[in-house]
Amino acid sequence: MVQSKKQKYLFLAFCLVPTFIMFAIFTLYPLFSGLYYSFFDWSGASQHKEFVGLANYISLLKDAIIPDTIIHDYFLVATKVIGIMILAMFFAVALTQLKIKEAPFYRIVFFFPNIMSVVVIGILWTFIYNPNLGLINSGLEFLGLESFAKPWLGDENWALPSLVLPSIWAGIGLFLLMLMGGIANVSKSYYEAAEIDGASQWQQFWKVTLPLVWPQIKISVLYIVITTLNGSFIIVQVMTGGGPNNATHVMGSYLYQQAFVQYNFGYGATIGVMILILSLLTVLILQFFMRREKVEY
Amino acid sequence: MKRSVGQILGRTGIRIPLILWTIAVLYPIFWMFLGSFKSNAEIYRNPWGIPDSFNIQNFVTAWSNYNIDISVFNSLVVTLVGACLTLILSIPTAYAIERIHFRGSKLLFTLYVSAMMIPMVLGWIPLFFLLMKLNLLDNIFGLAIVYAVSQLPFSIFVLTSFISTIPKSLEESAAMDGMSPYRVLWKIITPLSLSGIITVTIMNAIQFWNEYFMALIFLQSSENYTLALAIDYISSEAQYTNAWGTLFASLVIAIVPVIILYAIFQQRIAKGMTEGAIKG
Repeated sequence: MVQSKKQKYLFLAFCLVPTFIMFAIFTLYPLFSGLYYSFFDWSGASQHKEFVGLANYISLLKDAIIPDTIIHDYFLVATKVIGIMILAMFFAVALTQLKIKEAPFYRIVFFFPNIMSVVVIGILWTFIYNPNLGLINSGLEFLGLESFAKPWLGDENWALPSLVLPSIWAGIGLFLLMLMGGIANVSKSYYEAAEIDGASQWQQFWKVTLPLVWPQIKISVLYIVITTLNGSFIIVQVMTGGGPNNATHVMGSYLYQQAFVQYNFGYGATIGVMILILSLLTVLILQFFMRREKVEY
Repeated sequence: MKRSVGQILGRTGIRIPLILWTIAVLYPIFWMFLGSFKSNAEIYRNPWGIPDSFNIQNFVTAWSNYNIDISVFNSLVVTLVGACLTLILSIPTAYAIERIHFRGSKLLFTLYVSAMMIPMVLGWIPLFFLLMKLNLLDNIFGLAIVYAVSQLPFSIFVLTSFISTIPKSLEESAAMDGMSPYRVLWKIITPLSLSGIITVTIMNAIQFWNEYFMALIFLQSSENYTLALAIDYISSEAQYTNAWGTLFASLVIAIVPVIILYAIFQQRIAKGMTEGAIKG
């Protein structure tokens, strides 16, 4: 392009600087000052901000609720990964390999909950779990299994597992599409070759499909882990608010309660730092374990 | 031949879980629509069936007694302002990163993209006080700015990949004709990446329309509530008033725009979301 250096830099600045300033103010600055706040005892009023060093981190280690919130988060991560991956993989294979005519219909329907608001999903499912009117208890009654009916979200043992189903329900479509994209890229000739060698459908799945869509599986698992650790508190907040008796508190909902309900902003920031560290560590560890030689036949 | 019989049986068998999951997805949504037409008494008598008559009383109540009209307006403002602001901020940066060679362009791109993986919940505490200082707390325009910046990484990511498909020769010949880079960006790049811009805008708009948690933190007075907050409020009220019909009506109001967008742009939305996830 014919233009002077100065003009080029002016244009570059025009393109990059305003955006970067906004990004720095509303994303970078809050993240770093979140780290900074975690060393203060602070109830929100600026004159009472007191530097306390690592005191927040020490109380974090002593806080009896923290280990529970971590366990709850990883429980959701594990159950969601297993539930979503098995179902999405099953549906993806069914929709791509078996040449079902109405496959686009299923794809469109299964994906829709992915773009529903968490508030709508949460309220809908709160009603499905409703002890008196809810679909689950009515269904159990219909099947003559009244003894299994319970106030799902009000039961300390069942509230957390009850949150898994809505998350799977809402999440499956995206991963179905990602896996279907992966399977569609596998050349037909591999399946034909496997067929000639007498491989059963099941063997074809394990020996051909699974290794060849491994990149998509890896991305899906990482994505579920990241979005759960960074966002599981939203559905918790809508459906149970962390209750009953802290049985469903996850790290993020506990942060919200500490910071924005009880005004322990310094301590809230400390929980935020913990979430950041744990989610980065988890992703690193997972990436290490899911490393696999790229398969080529 | 034996094999094809088995395959036909297999295909019928495989349809059963597919149909069951279809019902699991659609039934609660249909049921929400049906419930929005039922009176409270009818919801208790017949929670899961077809309503006796299609009564729009619930919508009228939600609209006028629960301030849904105001929150629909607020949500529309936040969604539109947020989506426009995201475009204004992301198109020039995406273009510069993709087409202009400068030192650190890779680094800048990585910085934006990796922000997608960082849990923003840590930043929300300082952001709360920052908005307070800027007089943007409890303000829907403040929320729109926060939304716009939160979707910058995703938007820049998708737009750079769209801009990279535009042939370079077009810009070069325009520059030969003496067009300034600003006009190239506005008159050539923006129209040619329209498809990407539409995808990004729809995704962002749905995101902003649905968003709940940041609104919960950054908005306080009920006249500033977005739809998600208003619904959450009606839902917590309904525990005591049992105004379920009103609650369903407000859920329907929230979901209908999303259904319409999905009906029109289904393929774009699905593609945009999978691409956004694959960058990882």
